[in-house]
Amino acid sequence: MGPAPAGAQNRGAAGEPEVMELALEGTGKEGKKESSKKHALAGSPVEGFLQPVKLSRAELYKEPTNEELTRLRETESLFHSSLLRLQVEELLKEVRLPEKKKERIDAFLREVNQRVLKVPSTPKTELTDQTWLPAGVRVPLHQVPYTVKGCFHFLPPAQVTVVGSYLLGTCVRPDINVDMAVTMPREILQDKDGLNQRYFRKRALYLAHLAHHLGQDPFFGSIRFSYTRGCHLKPSLLLRPHGKDERLVTVRLHPCPPPDFFRPCRLLPSKNNVRSAWYRGQSPPGDGSPEPPTPHYNAWVLQDVTLESHVQLLSTVLGSALGLRDGVALLKVWLRQRELDKGLGGFSGFLVSMLVVFLVSTRKIHTTMSGYQVLRSVLQFLATTDLTVNGISLCLSSDPSLPALADFHQAFPVVFLDSSGYLNLCADVTASTYHQVQHEARLSMALLDGRADDRFQLLLMTPKPMIRAFDHVLHLHPLSRLQAACHRLKLWPELQDLGGDYVSAALGSLTTLLEQGLGSRLHLLAHSRPPVSEWDISQDPPKHRDSGTLTLGLLLRPEGLTSVLELGPEANQPEAADFRQFWGSRSELRRFQDGAIREAVVWEAASMAQKRLIPHQVVTHLLALHANIPDTCVHYVGGLLDALIQSPKETSNTGEEALAAAVRCYDDLSRLLWGLEGLPLTVSAVQGAHPVLRYTEVFPPTPVRPAYSFYEQFRERASLLPRPDKPCPAYVEPMTVVCHLEGSGQWPQDAEAIRRVRAAFQLRLAELLTQQHGLQCRATATHTDVLKDGFVFRVRVACQREPQILREMRSPEGMISLRDTPASLRLERDTRHLPLLTSALHGLQQQHPAFSGVARLAKRWVRAQLLGEGFTDESLDLLVAALFLHPEPFTPPSSPQVGFLRFLFLVSTFDWKNNPLIVNLNNELTVEEQGEIRSGFLATRTELPIMVIVTPQDRKNSVWTQDGPLPQVLQQLVVLAAEALPVLEKQLMDPRGPGDIRTVFRPPLDMYDVLIRLSPRHIPRHRQAVDSPAASFCRGLLSEPGPSSLMPVLGYDPPQLYLAQLREAFGDLALFFYDQHGGEVIGVLWKPSSFQPQPFKASNTKGRMVMSQGGELVMVPNVEAILEDLAVLGEGLVQAVEARSERWTV
Amino acid sequence: MVARRRKRGERDSEQGIPSPPGYSAIPIKFSEKQQAFHYLYVREHRVREGTKSSWPQKRTLFVLNVPPYCTEECLSRLFSPCGPVQSVGLQEKPELADSPKEPKSKFFHPTPIPGFQVAYVVFQKPGGVSAALVLKGPLLVSTESHPVKSGIHKWISDYTDSVPDPEALRVEVDTFMEAYDKRIAEEEAKAKEKEGVPDEEGWVKVTRRGRRPVLPRTEAASLRVLERERRKRARKELLNFYAWQHRETKMEHLAQLRKKFEEDKQRIELMRAQRKFRPY
Repeated sequence: MGPAPAGAQNRGAAGEPEVMELALEGTGKEGKKESSKKHALAGSPVEGFLQPVKLSRAELYKEPTNEELTRLRETESLFHSSLLRLQVEELLKEVRLPEKKKERIDAFLREVNQRVLKVPSTPKTELTDQTWLPAGVRVPLHQVPYTVKGCFHFLPPAQVTVVGSYLLGTCVRPDINVDMAVTMPREILQDKDGLNQRYFRKRALYLAHLAHHLGQDPFFGSIRFSYTRGCHLKPSLLLRPHGKDERLVTVRLHPCPPPDFFRPCRLLPSKNNVRSAWYRGQSPPGDGSPEPPTPHYNAWVLQDVTLESHVQLLSTVLGSALGLRDGVALLKVWLRQRELDKGLGGFSGFLVSMLVVFLVSTRKIHTTMSGYQVLRSVLQFLATTDLTVNGISLCLSSDPSLPALADFHQAFPVVFLDSSGYLNLCADVTASTYHQVQHEARLSMALLDGRADDRFQLLLMTPKPMIRAFDHVLHLHPLSRLQAACHRLKLWPELQDLGGDYVSAALGSLTTLLEQGLGSRLHLLAHSRPPVSEWDISQDPPKHRDSGTLTLGLLLRPEGLTSVLELGPEANQPEAADFRQFWGSRSELRRFQDGAIREAVVWEAASMAQKRLIPHQVVTHLLALHANIPDTCVHYVGGLLDALIQSPKETSNTGEEALAAAVRCYDDLSRLLWGLEGLPLTVSAVQGAHPVLRYTEVFPPTPVRPAYSFYEQFRERASLLPRPDKPCPAYVEPMTVVCHLEGSGQWPQDAEAIRRVRAAFQLRLAELLTQQHGLQCRATATHTDVLKDGFVFRVRVACQREPQILREMRSPEGMISLRDTPASLRLERDTRHLPLLTSALHGLQQQHPAFSGVARLAKRWVRAQLLGEGFTDESLDLLVAALFLHPEPFTPPSSPQVGFLRFLFLVSTFDWKNNPLIVNLNNELTVEEQGEIRSGFLATRTELPIMVIVTPQDRKNSVWTQDGPLPQVLQQLVVLAAEALPVLEKQLMDPRGPGDIRTVFRPPLDMYDVLIRLSPRHIPRHRQAVDSPAASFCRGLLSEPGPSSLMPVLGYDPPQLYLAQLREAFGDLALFFYDQHGGEVIGVLWKPSSFQPQPFKASNTKGRMVMSQGGELVMVPNVEAILEDLAVLGEGLVQAVEARSERWTV
Repeated sequence: MVARRRKRGERDSEQGIPSPPGYSAIPIKFSEKQQAFHYLYVREHRVREGTKSSWPQKRTLFVLNVPPYCTEECLSRLFSPCGPVQSVGLQEKPELADSPKEPKSKFFHPTPIPGFQVAYVVFQKPGGVSAALVLKGPLLVSTESHPVKSGIHKWISDYTDSVPDPEALRVEVDTFMEAYDKRIAEEEAKAKEKEGVPDEEGWVKVTRRGRRPVLPRTEAASLRVLERERRKRARKELLNFYAWQHRETKMEHLAQLRKKFEEDKQRIELMRAQRKFRPY
């Protein structure tokens, strides 16, 4: 576990509270954690860590009571496991309204009721004459066109009733809304009020008057208008209590017509209730063309009519069954985490309640089911039923006068009829929204069936904001462009139907257009629902264009992303004209290799990164062509982070091609090795063991060709050497390759001798490669460096038996036993685990092309935060692999951007203390084995490192995190990730552009005690810095790659050499942090523990001095001399040592 | 911190440098340019009666806290005013019973990066030690006449040294393997000689090389045998046969469930503490 964290000791020294600032933010916590670990051994309960459960024998084996048995049985039959049951119960407790609050809300509701009934009436006026309205209140409706027939006068409501979830007991926190239906008296309404928005105008005026009167009442804290479920024709009035209760509850007043006022047959989806003559202000066309139907308009009227009957239905079904109510509450949480329930056309809590009622009526749900089972059944139903094709109905009567489902399918994308048979409950739900719901339900079902342990967490507690759920996101901004789009798309009937809401009108057509255009590249297209705005009663209602931005999320299909071609029909087919019409000028006639002449669209994309962004080209082209939306209004967020993994000079790709070139070269080399003649043992396997060979090196190597004049030449050993008078030469890291030889009994039985024989093999290998293939080689005792096509490989010969020989121990009785030793573990890691991991991740890259990008972005970020050296390369790669192998509740990322966001989320939320991260490479671990690993983990927690990553090859030891990170470093990473994630998400979701995307990649430097500034002249990777310097030094490379007869300078990186010296010399006094990609500064943190004065010990004098303190001789670090040593050790490299002594005092 | 340290520095110059009992302190710094000193703590190298030490008694000076840039040559130069220095040994930790020193191969045992080390300075005469104990210093590691490389220059020279010489490596490997083969051959010959010959008590050692090879004496082999035995026994056992056995399995199942339940409860408690149940 490394040295004891600083905090622990610091805590002990209470006498000197300001000895040292805690080393890192959160160190205090770590300290507690550490000390808690010690306590854990003692067996006392502590915070943060799970303890092995100890129950006495008597407790374990006592006779069970009846209740206990029932509960156990219930758990088994109604829930999956007891943990799930407890979790669900706990969640429900959290979201349910407590009784105390309920009482306060009830009191408030009674008051509201009385006050609403007391509002005075007004004299009768024309609808267009609104002068009677007082100055302080505006009509909450856009009255376009203004002229409309009819009269209005206010009368106190006939009835005020509570409707909705509050009454049913299914409302969930945090936003407690109580819906109240205010029934307008019959006298207000006139015969033909269903026509031309007259009813809605009256409804709005009614609310305005109510608002005015209630607004003068000091009893209410705030009075505002809003739209009912985002519908622009139906405002509602929001009332909140005064004073400290303001956040307690929001009461929403919905005016509704008296029952039986509207005849349902007038409101069928095929009927027109908004006359074109009135709406467009033209005289009737007279050509006899039928008026377009207004299905949405009709549905909105019907929604008001049926308000009460729905509540009655719901309360009869849900009222008696607790399980159903629990289920609805869980479903609401589920929808909420997926941002599906809000806005116009959202899949609201009301809809799922009705869905539950439907499933009860079809006997798919029984009233005795538990909440979890209800959740499961509804998800199962949603996952398997496509309401866009096969609508459902709650109506049981077989009256022939009722409209058929088919009529509804013609008018609405999604169909779910209520019990009257006239109203489509899903009238506002778009097809994309429903498909999104279905997609989520499918994912959730897979999750419930598959993962055993943390499904509750993933299903109900993990938020899925759009930016983190979808691979690419695009913002349409400003929204006013959609108005023109509506005209271009000829959507006048829809506008007439929707009362001029051009956003909703255009939405359906736009999504269909893009879905068709993206075709095989697209898995799912989703759109954000415009948020429901609230406004003050003295203001005009917000315009359509002010309702924020329209955001579309694209979930891409990785296999469709590789093609640059959109293949159309053959030129002589009739479909060819459609194809040409759809793609416009981009469509070209092309002749293919098989002789076919076809219409086709070819996109310009040379590299993987550009191919990933083809959807951007498609979207902008189609929107401009068909909807008249210029590309300045389309803000595509898909490749903004690519800049960080582009090599400093190439901006057209993100390095996948360069990595592939290196891997190809490695493949060639391994073929040469296999075919090598003259080795005493033949080569049996060649395995890559370097990040490049698993596509996760942040900056891929480029072929090098050194300019000799830049170097010292060492001709007799065919090598180049760096020169002190020149800037540091380019950094060339050899790529490690492990070469296994066929088994043989001739290997010696002694570790030292094996090393000598291996060295002989290395020498021979170099000789043969030079002789037979003319490659430049250099052999050492442990490896052979091979220069091939400008890439340098480091071939290590491995002996299979060597780890075993290192592990052999002979007991005094002569028994040979095998025990792990540090040397054997290291060897096994390098020659067995590392190649296996490399090939597994190489395979992962073939399945998920975005893996490389995500892994490199993630590593780049960790390193940019100066924490890269605390983590092994492999541990970070595995973290990223987990995002692809266990994406739940998401799908595997298909773009680096979304993968990186999820990486930040994973890092910031994973509970390392109590969970191992299981990375099930190649799906080798079964669910049972994973369970075993988890329980084994808890039992041996104290011996394991803070961060535990389990793979099928490494089930116990967590090889890659054994030597780090330190708990403080991990904690720091968690803190930074938690801070970076919201910042980055906000930037990406900003429709006006992300601003400076590199913000989250710049490290905070104010926490370090000492900063060592380095001279860029001797930083070979200076150009790779996050903020790439405008000018840097020549690094002695020729721009044209070509053969070189001298070995370039390998692995020479002065900052790394410097750091190694620093860590060796001052490792127990301080921690050192550095960004290997061109960092110009090293951050130093003193370890508080080592600054405690200590008694003299001969073994512990490093860098310390003796001083007398209170008559005693104690040892303290010799800080002044150490600060000067920092400069001495890095002579030439170090520019300045900034001791920020304001941070520490003795 | 710095301010106080400086004040104390002044005081030190008046009173002499504090040093732990038995040691004397010698200030040392890299070169003239540096302001602050490190302190070498030195005493005569002594070991308890009877224990062996590879360093000669009386003539050896034991030095603590040698800074990383200080090499063996450098120490030998710094202490030569006290008397002619015979040899200097630098190592990471003070070791009394020194392990037998083999000449380590530079190819197979690369020298580690130095941190703060301890040194044993062997003088040719015992007088050197006493002279060193009263050495006032301050010592300078790098002077104009004897510059010590550090930083870029050191790394470049290290890199140059690390470029291997394949011929030398080959020669070393060959000599080592020759010696090794010879040793093994000798051992085998000896073992062969003893094969089947009873020792003085009449015991004959049975080895794998004999005509009838026996099980190797390894832990794995013995575990395998035990496992086989265990399985044989398990096959014969009757499970859920008697009523009490039946009752016991049921009870065991219940106990398992209870234990799981307790575990889950604890988990929930923890999650509640971490506010893991707030879906907002």
